[in-house]
Amino acid sequence: MQQLIGDFIQVLRLQGLPISPAETLDALRATQLVGIEERGRLKMVLGTTLAKSTEHRLQLESLFDDFFTFGTSDDSTEVVDGDKNQNGESAADEVSSEPQSVETPPGTDGQPAESTAPPQSPLGQQLMSGDDAALAIAIASAAAGSGASNMQVFTQKSRVSYQMLQQLGEPELNAEIQALQANNEEPQLVQALLERREQLRTRVRDYVEQQYLLFTQARGIRLRESNLQKVKLTNVDHHYHQQMSRLVRKAAKQLAALHSRRRRVTKRGLLDVRKTIAANAAFDGFLFHTKWKSTRVERPKVVVLCDVSGSVARVARFLLLFLHSLQDVLPRVRSFVFASELGEVTDLFERLEMDEALAEIMAHWANRPTDYGQALSDFERLALSEIDNRTTVIMLGDARNNNTDGRTDIWQQVHARSQRVLWLNPEGRNSWNTGDSIMSEYAPYCSRVESCNSLRDLTRILGSLLKHS
Amino acid sequence: MIIKHRDKIASPEHIRSNFQQLGYICSESIATAVFLACQLQKPILVEGPPGVGKTELAKKTSEYLQAPLIRMQCYEGLDEAKALYEWKYGKQLLYTQLLKDQLGDVMRGAKGLNESVERLHQFGDIFYSEQFLETRPLLQALREDDGAILLIDEIDKADQEFEAFLLELLSDYQVSIPEIGTVKARSKPIVILTSNNTRELGDALKRRCLHLHIPFPEAALEQQIIASQVPEMGEQLRDQVVAFVNELRQQALKKVPAVSESIDWARALLLLNVEELDRDWIETTLNLLLKFQDDIEVVSPEINQLLSNSRQQRR
Repeated sequence: MQQLIGDFIQVLRLQGLPISPAETLDALRATQLVGIEERGRLKMVLGTTLAKSTEHRLQLESLFDDFFTFGTSDDSTEVVDGDKNQNGESAADEVSSEPQSVETPPGTDGQPAESTAPPQSPLGQQLMSGDDAALAIAIASAAAGSGASNMQVFTQKSRVSYQMLQQLGEPELNAEIQALQANNEEPQLVQALLERREQLRTRVRDYVEQQYLLFTQARGIRLRESNLQKVKLTNVDHHYHQQMSRLVRKAAKQLAALHSRRRRVTKRGLLDVRKTIAANAAFDGFLFHTKWKSTRVERPKVVVLCDVSGSVARVARFLLLFLHSLQDVLPRVRSFVFASELGEVTDLFERLEMDEALAEIMAHWANRPTDYGQALSDFERLALSEIDNRTTVIMLGDARNNNTDGRTDIWQQVHARSQRVLWLNPEGRNSWNTGDSIMSEYAPYCSRVESCNSLRDLTRILGSLLKHS
Repeated sequence: MIIKHRDKIASPEHIRSNFQQLGYICSESIATAVFLACQLQKPILVEGPPGVGKTELAKKTSEYLQAPLIRMQCYEGLDEAKALYEWKYGKQLLYTQLLKDQLGDVMRGAKGLNESVERLHQFGDIFYSEQFLETRPLLQALREDDGAILLIDEIDKADQEFEAFLLELLSDYQVSIPEIGTVKARSKPIVILTSNNTRELGDALKRRCLHLHIPFPEAALEQQIIASQVPEMGEQLRDQVVAFVNELRQQALKKVPAVSESIDWARALLLLNVEELDRDWIETTLNLLLKFQDDIEVVSPEINQLLSNSRQQRR
């Protein structure tokens, strides 16, 4: 049972549920209390002890249905560890949509052929006894012995199936069948054995397939996610946009959780005299309660300017997505986008769904020749007066200006008025100032200039933005 | 917690049927969670929309196990002094005033400051002893001899710091008081925390608890609940009430009616001697179900539609 619950927890972890050893112990103790005989109860108990949010609970329940399936007959109360036919779909996607298909077909089941002598080999006996549950347990333990849960690539499947059959004692069974065939004895028994061996093979194959899906697919997804973190945003294929958006939201949620807490910092050691006296008036002026001075951590006011021309557009997309996913911790983000003309798009995000807003922005503003001078003078007109010393200005652009005047004077004013100016350049440092890039002209008026071209960069930079605010 | 009647928590079914007799109709998952909490001595974190009976669960558990219920309502700014213990400052002050003369006697004859202080030390920490300790809910729960049901209500309203402070209590059932030392539970209380999900709780807290989510009940369960709370109500009207409330929950409202609202409504309809739910009655009593004027304005013109939908649903 421990092995079974342990395997299940392993699957849950691979699917991204954070389950600690302490919770594992709880689950085991709880399972001991209620036993594993009743499927519904087991599911409930595991859900209560292992899943700590509704989202995780749903995930757990769907995985549970995949992982545990039960013998066909209602009174067979043993846990049959997965004898279900999975056909190549995602393990999490199909929740009990399929009936348990590969059970021993009823034709031969239950009525052991009218053979006079029982088979000699242990596996043969097991097969003929028609005890489905016992067989399933044998399969599960053979799987554990053959490392079914450690499969990494699909080519291992056949090896694992082979080893499982070996462990189940197929060689002895084969030998027996051959011997019987050679001597022409017990034709009925031979026929039955052959049939059941075939069923067993199918069953083992299905079992291995399912294990492979449960254990390996999640690993693959993880690997892809960690790669997507590092990949250049400009190179992210359109195909992965959906997945990237999900990752961005996830990262934003983590950042928000990290920083939503530090809203007030006590200055230890600085007594707030006025408050202390007021608080202790009731005690005849004796100072029992001390009140310390504290400062509220200001949420930064963020103004973001995004170049949405050409290659920068892709990065802009993710930056905007990220910033607006940070609503909880950054409630005051004003976004501007430009190629040549600059316009404010903050309200688009308020009105529309994130994806629609992004699509509209790209359709409306992108695909024009870049003109930083024009954009900055628009910005001066629209919003320069609102930048104060608590504002952080983030500019995302490659500073490729098509050889026109960059109006660095405006950028200088922006720098002077704001608390901080971050310039994120999606190009690598080596290509700055090459061709028509005028990064070096803007650089003196930035607090920091960073090359930013992957989700990891974005997370790091925005994390530091929140930390120092 | 010392459970006087161990057989009371023998199995989830047992708990469920007994809760039912006490007038608390619960789903199987609730019964299982209570069962596990009693058996494993772990706190339960109950989440769910307001009004589905999270607090009631704690009350009924205490009634069922015949243990005192100690309730602590959380709010922003709640701190140790209000949750755990406080010194009785007033009493301390009063005593020092009263004992002033005594002190004079004690000090008489002491030579020099050192000797005076020495003598004072002999009295030890009388002013910081149990007699001057004002227990607050958490400490009280730990000091109950036979254990208690500790209800920490709306933990999501409390600050992050307070949540962290609770961790020691929830995992080891002990708290540290600097002047006295560590106070261990005489008998482990059963802790029920409730949360409305206004903010995400920390992982550390969640890890220490069993998790129970109570959703809006299904129609059949809700009928049972109303039947047990408002037994005088006729079956037909009860059907209508449940179906209509269910229909309302499908609407996009600021605050959808919960179980407590449907019970209130059922009681009101009973008082008004309503026999058949119709448009007029609904209109006049809608304010019992919906708590925002906006919602009422949204729903009022739709009542006929909702009513006919709910009739179909019942069929």
